[in-house]
Amino acid sequence: MKILLTGLTVLALTGGQALAASAVNKDSEVRVLVVTEGSGRTELPIASGETVEFCPNGCFVTLPNGDREALTGSETIEIVGGRARIN
Amino acid sequence: MPDEYDYFPVEGFDEIVRHHGDASFGWKMIAQTAASQGVENCKVSCHLVPCHFTNLLPSFRANQWVLTLFLAKESLPELHLPVNSRLSLAIRCMILMFSVMMAGTLLSHAAYAQRPESVVLAKQKPLIAEYITTANALAASFETSSDTDEGLVEIRNKLIALEEKILASAVEFRPRMNEINSRLDQLGEPPASGTVEEPEAVTAERNFLLAEKAEINQLIGEAESASVRVNNLIEDIGTRRRELFAQALSKRYDINASVLINAASEFGQEVSELWRRVSSWLRFIVRFKLQSVVGATFIALAAAFLLMIGGRKIAASMTANAGDIASPTFLERISVAFWATLLPTLVLGVFAYTTLQLYKDFGLFRDDLGTIIVSIVDVTIVVYLVHRLALLILAPWNPAWRLVKFGNEPSKQLYWLVVATAGITGLDLIMSTVNDVLSSPLNLTVAKTLVATVIVAVLILMIGNAKPTEDADGKRKPWPMPVRYLLYLIGLVPLAASFLGYVGLARFALQQIVVTGAVVVTMYVGFLASREIAAENAFLRTSEGQWLKKRFKYSDTTIDQIGVASGILTNFIVLLIGLPLILLQWGFQWGDIRTWAVKILSGVQVGSITISFFGILSGIAIFIVAFALMRWFQRWLDGTVMARSKMDSGVRNSIRTAIGYVGFVVAALFGVSAAGIELQNLALIAGGLSLGIGFGLQNIVSNFVSGLILLAERPFKAGDWIVAGNVSGFVKKISVRATEIETFQRQTVILPNSELINAAVGNWTHRNRTARIEIAVGVAYGTDARRVRDILMTIATEHPLVLKNPEPAVVFTSFGESSLDFELRIFLLDVFDLNVVQSEIRFSILDAFAAENIEIPFPQRDITIKGGPVVEALDKALPKTRKPPARGRSRRSADE
Repeated sequence: MKILLTGLTVLALTGGQALAASAVNKDSEVRVLVVTEGSGRTELPIASGETVEFCPNGCFVTLPNGDREALTGSETIEIVGGRARIN
Repeated sequence: MPDEYDYFPVEGFDEIVRHHGDASFGWKMIAQTAASQGVENCKVSCHLVPCHFTNLLPSFRANQWVLTLFLAKESLPELHLPVNSRLSLAIRCMILMFSVMMAGTLLSHAAYAQRPESVVLAKQKPLIAEYITTANALAASFETSSDTDEGLVEIRNKLIALEEKILASAVEFRPRMNEINSRLDQLGEPPASGTVEEPEAVTAERNFLLAEKAEINQLIGEAESASVRVNNLIEDIGTRRRELFAQALSKRYDINASVLINAASEFGQEVSELWRRVSSWLRFIVRFKLQSVVGATFIALAAAFLLMIGGRKIAASMTANAGDIASPTFLERISVAFWATLLPTLVLGVFAYTTLQLYKDFGLFRDDLGTIIVSIVDVTIVVYLVHRLALLILAPWNPAWRLVKFGNEPSKQLYWLVVATAGITGLDLIMSTVNDVLSSPLNLTVAKTLVATVIVAVLILMIGNAKPTEDADGKRKPWPMPVRYLLYLIGLVPLAASFLGYVGLARFALQQIVVTGAVVVTMYVGFLASREIAAENAFLRTSEGQWLKKRFKYSDTTIDQIGVASGILTNFIVLLIGLPLILLQWGFQWGDIRTWAVKILSGVQVGSITISFFGILSGIAIFIVAFALMRWFQRWLDGTVMARSKMDSGVRNSIRTAIGYVGFVVAALFGVSAAGIELQNLALIAGGLSLGIGFGLQNIVSNFVSGLILLAERPFKAGDWIVAGNVSGFVKKISVRATEIETFQRQTVILPNSELINAAVGNWTHRNRTARIEIAVGVAYGTDARRVRDILMTIATEHPLVLKNPEPAVVFTSFGESSLDFELRIFLLDVFDLNVVQSEIRFSILDAFAAENIEIPFPQRDITIKGGPVVEALDKALPKTRKPPARGRSRRSADE
């Protein structure tokens, strides 16, 4: 039982980890990230309060305030007041 | 402003003092100075920001911090920060040095604009420029060398590495960008025109930071464009490779006698060329590198020896008693097969690659021969693996350990055919490498491939023609029809293709077939294994099952269920390993497979809801963990805390049950939110449910609420004797929907809680177990009623289980039809003694009445019969011996 519990805890901790970068929009309006992944450039609108996962293999992203960032695919982006904080 | 001061005004703050170095030192300095000068109301707050002055002060390290102290305005007129004698010489030097530097800086605010580039910019700018140049060079080489697959693969690999570098370089800017953004936040927006102007220092710093930020953004943009270009090139290369591949497959060679004759002579030339190269290499080795060869061979052999010993030991422990088992189960066979395939192959692989690496490190390889040797090693390992696999699945010389139900002879035959197929295909691969290295003529390549293809195709046809299984009489039966025809097709298509001249197609098809076949067969064995593990009680018989039973005291059923789960898990693992291998073999890229896997695992978008496999898994896992924790807490509280507090069992039961439900709800909420389902969405479902409750679910909800009321109000508890409607019995369990009652006939009645709340419920044991019982008795008319009362009272008072207080009572209840009716009312301490006491008292009454000659009468009737014929008829009908019944003695018969 202990092993089962430990296993499940490990699974829960690792399973919960995102396999891609995630962005959460904490503003009340829709924010748009411009994501360049591979050879394609797409706009990624994020509704208020929504969390999206994108960019599993690394990408470039233009944030709502015009800043550019490169992501390796494991970051969490928080958009507050039109500005993004990357953890 | 005195010279010693090192502060300057900034909009938004009263004064700022900056100090480089130890933060606590600077703070203490200000605080001590303020205290020594008797300044009251001095608010000193510390704020640490990353050093933006690094470039101004080259002697400070880049990771040093600036201490910015914000001082309240009222303290400043009095506060002086002197370089006084109390401070140590070192401190004075530091402050002095800082003051000089700061003063110098402040004197020319223009210096902000002229500051050198930040470290990260200086480092990454040339790197990004270099990457862009490399990308251009690779694009140019793609244009020129797009004819060979090897060249394209090489460029592609370089491009993939380049893309990673570009991304890594762009990521390097992030800390600096964060610094700039947070510093810009501190500086605030530039003041609007017409308001108070901000100090020039601040404006200059802001402008500098904005300029740097713009430059970084521009560089990241350049990196982004370069990355897009590189990715486009990678895609172009993919397209070009597919075109080349299609060309290679559809290219037709003219096969005729001259090709073969020419090839024969060219083969001779090629062998002599190969021998020339090998001999010159050997001469070189013997003359100049003999010591290295001896050394490398010795090390490799020593490593191999150790590995062999270790491997054998492990293999022996894994298959310890394998030899002793006369008729092993399928699971035993397959586990031995698994280890016996894996370990020797692993040992051989490690040995071979260690040797190769050592030879390379000692510089013993020439480029050309090195490639050939590497391909020989690769092929040897794969052929060895196929040989081990065939040996263990078919077990040609050991029928008891055979994994498939084939006969002895067919197993031997199939084993040789499979090994020969793998061997010939491997040889073809080695020859192809030799052809490439020696740049052999086309005729030779075509002829060699043709020969190899024909041999392998014939071998596959022979496999298809084999009769592997045997029926009950020992007669050999062919493969099932679909398998047989599939094998014929697999053999005939490459054969036809190669004779028609499509040698490339034939060779490709055969290689795919051999490798895919090996993977499919291995997967099949895996599926067989999982089926065996999941078979009823199969897992229980394994050593793992026995260990679980011994270690965790699991029941047989639990272990059987674990077996089923292990079977499913095995299937899953086989698919997880096998499918990507097959996809890779058929030309899919690892990156594509990974992206699909990530997409499947990380979420499928359905409307606005993302269903994520990992999310669901982690949700379930968190629910199980949280639920187990809650259960543990519940048990601990009940068993440790509440049991010791001598709490009433009903309260304990209520608390335990309530905690159980709360725990379930909390665990479910954790699980749901971990699964990524927004709780807001649940509110929507709850809204829908409330409508449903209005219509159909009201009974269930009513029972649920009643259950909660029962737990809170506790009109009865588990163990109580209750009477609800027609049901009387002991309460066994109070659940949220229904209550379980066991009647005295040992029948379990499940009573919905709402009935227990809405209707009257009698509880014999609510506050205490005291009960009153009544025993009715009638005596014949003419008996002394007072005597009867005394007798009854004596019997009651003498019984040990009857309470003295309240004392028993005898009540003369009525003048009955046939008797004087009395009722003995007694009180019992424990209602559960009711039946015993009633019975014993009745025995005593009977005995006492018999001793006193007191009669307990039958019911009696006086009957008047009118008319003569009836009396005569009765006289005739009744037996002569029977007397007419005496008054008050006879029971009235039914036919009267």
